[in-house]
Amino acid sequence: MKFSFTDDHRLFASGLRELLDRECTPGHVRAVWENGSGHDEALWSKLDEMGVLSILVSEAAGGFGGTEIDAVLLWQELGRACAPGPVLEHMVAEPVLVAGGMPIDGPITVWLDGPYVPHRQEADGGVLTRQGVIRGSTFQLVDSIDGGRRLATIVDGATDLFEFDDTLLADQLALGAAAYLIGLSERMIEITGEYARQREQFGKPIGSFQAVKHLMSDALLKVEFAKPATYRAAWSCATDAATRSRDVSMAKAFASEAAYQASRSCMQVHGGIGYTWEADLQLFMKKAWALMRAYGDASFHRRRVADAVMS
Amino acid sequence: MDLTYTADEDAFRSEARKWLEANVPSAPLPSFDTAEGFELHRDWERKLYDGRWSAVSWPVEYGGRDADYLKWLIFEEEYYRSGAPGRVSQNGIFLLGPTIMEVGTVEQKARFLPSMASSEIIWAQAWSEPNAGSDLAGIRSKAVRDGDEWVITGQKIWASRAVWADWCFGIFRTDPASERHKGLTFILIPLDLPGITVRPIAQLDGDTGFAEIFFDDVRVPVENTLGGEGKGWGVAMATAGFERGVSLRSPARFTEAANRLIGLWRSLADPADTALKDAVVDCWMRAEGYRLHTYMTVTGMLEGRPIGSEASLNKIFWSELDVRIHELALQIIGPEAERLGGGEHERWVDGFLFSLSGPIYAGTNEIQRNIIADRVLQLPKGV
Repeated sequence: MKFSFTDDHRLFASGLRELLDRECTPGHVRAVWENGSGHDEALWSKLDEMGVLSILVSEAAGGFGGTEIDAVLLWQELGRACAPGPVLEHMVAEPVLVAGGMPIDGPITVWLDGPYVPHRQEADGGVLTRQGVIRGSTFQLVDSIDGGRRLATIVDGATDLFEFDDTLLADQLALGAAAYLIGLSERMIEITGEYARQREQFGKPIGSFQAVKHLMSDALLKVEFAKPATYRAAWSCATDAATRSRDVSMAKAFASEAAYQASRSCMQVHGGIGYTWEADLQLFMKKAWALMRAYGDASFHRRRVADAVMS
Repeated sequence: MDLTYTADEDAFRSEARKWLEANVPSAPLPSFDTAEGFELHRDWERKLYDGRWSAVSWPVEYGGRDADYLKWLIFEEEYYRSGAPGRVSQNGIFLLGPTIMEVGTVEQKARFLPSMASSEIIWAQAWSEPNAGSDLAGIRSKAVRDGDEWVITGQKIWASRAVWADWCFGIFRTDPASERHKGLTFILIPLDLPGITVRPIAQLDGDTGFAEIFFDDVRVPVENTLGGEGKGWGVAMATAGFERGVSLRSPARFTEAANRLIGLWRSLADPADTALKDAVVDCWMRAEGYRLHTYMTVTGMLEGRPIGSEASLNKIFWSELDVRIHELALQIIGPEAERLGGGEHERWVDGFLFSLSGPIYAGTNEIQRNIIADRVLQLPKGV
C-alpha cells in the first residue's frame, strides 16, 4: 500500500503549472471568452509540445504511454488555470482514435450524452461519440456559462462507426472533470484568501473575522477530502479495478459538491465585487459550474455509488 | 501509487484477524464509564497486551510490534470488524504514549510505557479548566516548586476516564508571572495522592465518563515533568496533534458504522425514499473518503512528510460524519429511537448521544476552523 505520487509525477505537474502560469493567465482565459474562440491555439501547441495532450497515447503510437495516475495531477493543474478548449476531451479521445486506426488531424472533442456538444467549434479533429466519430459536421453554437467550453448542437454530420469501451471513456471524463474541479476550487480559495487578507472593513482585514474564516475552512475541507477520492479513482482506472466506476463516481460527486461550495463561499467573501464581470473569480466559478454538471452531476454519481454499495 | 496490500501487510492482517476471532468477547462488555465495565475493559486490555496487540505501532521493547502506521490502520480495520470492545486505554496508548516516546527521558520511557501498554496503569487527561476550555492557554491551575517536588493547586474539568483511572496528565502554570502559552509545564500525576478529589460529572448519556479533578496542595516529584519546565504548551500541542491527526478516531470506526447503517437501511427503510437513500450513501462515501484521506496522510508520514494543521481537517470531518451517521440511523429506526437503554437499537441510541460530543471534545470544531484558516489558508489572526 503506497498512496502517493512519485517525484516524477510532481515534477511534471509543477512544470505544467509553470507553463500555465505564463500561457494561461486569467487575462488569456478572458480573451478566449471575449473573442468567442473558446480555445487558445498558442496554448494548445505548447501543451502538445510538452506531451500533455498525448499522455494517455501509447509510446508505440508516439505518445507518453501514461495512465490516469500520470494524468490526474495534470488535469488538476489545467483546472487550476481554468484552461479553455477541449484539452480533457482530447486527452481521453486520442487513444481511442489511435486504437481504432483513425487519423488525428486536430483537436478532438467528446459528445457522450445530452443535447449539446462541448467544444465542437474548436474540434477540427472530430467529435467522438459512443458510436464512433463524427467528422466535418455542421453545427449551431449556443451561449454557454463557460466561455472556455462553448456548446453547440450538431445540425448535420455522419458518424464513422466503430466499437470501443465507451464506459471507460465516460469514467475517464468524469475523473478528469473531478480533477479539474479540485484545481478550480483550490484556485478560487487561493484568490479569495488573497482578497480576504487585503480587503479591510471595521478597520481590519475581513479574513480576520471568524465568519469569514469558517466559510473558507469549510470550503477547503471539502476540497481536501475530494482529493484522495479522485486519486484513488485514477488508480482504479489505471488498473482497471472492479470498483472503477464506483470509485470514479465517488470522486466526481465529491469534487462537484466541493467546487460548488467553494464557488459560493468565495463569491460571498468577495462581497459586491464577487458579483461582477470584472473579478477574475467569475472565470473559475463558471468553469466549475459547467464541469460539476458535465459527465454526470453529483446526484447521478451518488446514485451510481448507491447502486454499487446498497443494492 | 499502489493501492494493493503487500504480502507482508496481508499476513499481518490475517494474523490480527485470527487472534481477534479467537479472543474477542462474544457479548459486549458493560460501558467502560461504569465501575464494573472499567475493570472488565482493563482485563480485555491485558489480554490484548499479552497477545502483543495493545499498542501495535510501539517499539517491541515496550510491548508493541514496531508496526508502521499503515499496519496500525490495518489492525484498526480488523479491530472494528471483529466488534472488539472500545479502548479504555485510549488516552495513554494513543495520546500520552507517543508524546513520551517523543520528548520523555530514558527513565520515563522505561517507567511509564510498559505499564501503559498493559493497562496496569490507565490514564486520564486533564487539560481543560472551568475558565480554560476553547481558550486553553487561559490555564490557571498552578504548580509551585518546593525542593524536589511540585505543589499543585487548582481545578481541571472534563477529564476523560478520570473517575476510575490511575494517573492523569495535564499542563499547569509553573511561572506565576507568565501569561498565555508561556510558563506552562506538562506533569504526570497519580490520582490517588493526598489532596486530590475527583468529582464525577454525569454526561448527557448518564454515564460518568469525565470528571472534575481538584488539586489541593498535591505534592508530585519533579521527575514527573514531561518535556521540561515551561515547555508544557509545546508538549501538549504535540499530543493534541497526534490526537486530532490520525490516532484518535481511526477510519475503521466510521467505515464499520457506515456499513452497519446500510444494513439498518436494508432491513428497515423504505427503498422508495430516495432522499434517505442518498443521505445513507453519502455517509458511506464520507467514511470511505476519510479512510482514503488517512491512507494518503499515513503514506505521507512514512515518506517523511509529517502531519501538520491538516489534522484539524480530519477532526471536523470525522466528528460531523459520526453525528450524521447516527442521526440517519435514528431516523430509520423511528419511534423505537425514543427508548433509552435496552432494546435492539440501543447501540445506535447510545452512539447518537456519544457522537454529539465529537464536535466539542479535542478542541471544538469552531476552534479547528480557526486553526485551518490561520495556518493552512494563512488568513490574518483574529482572536
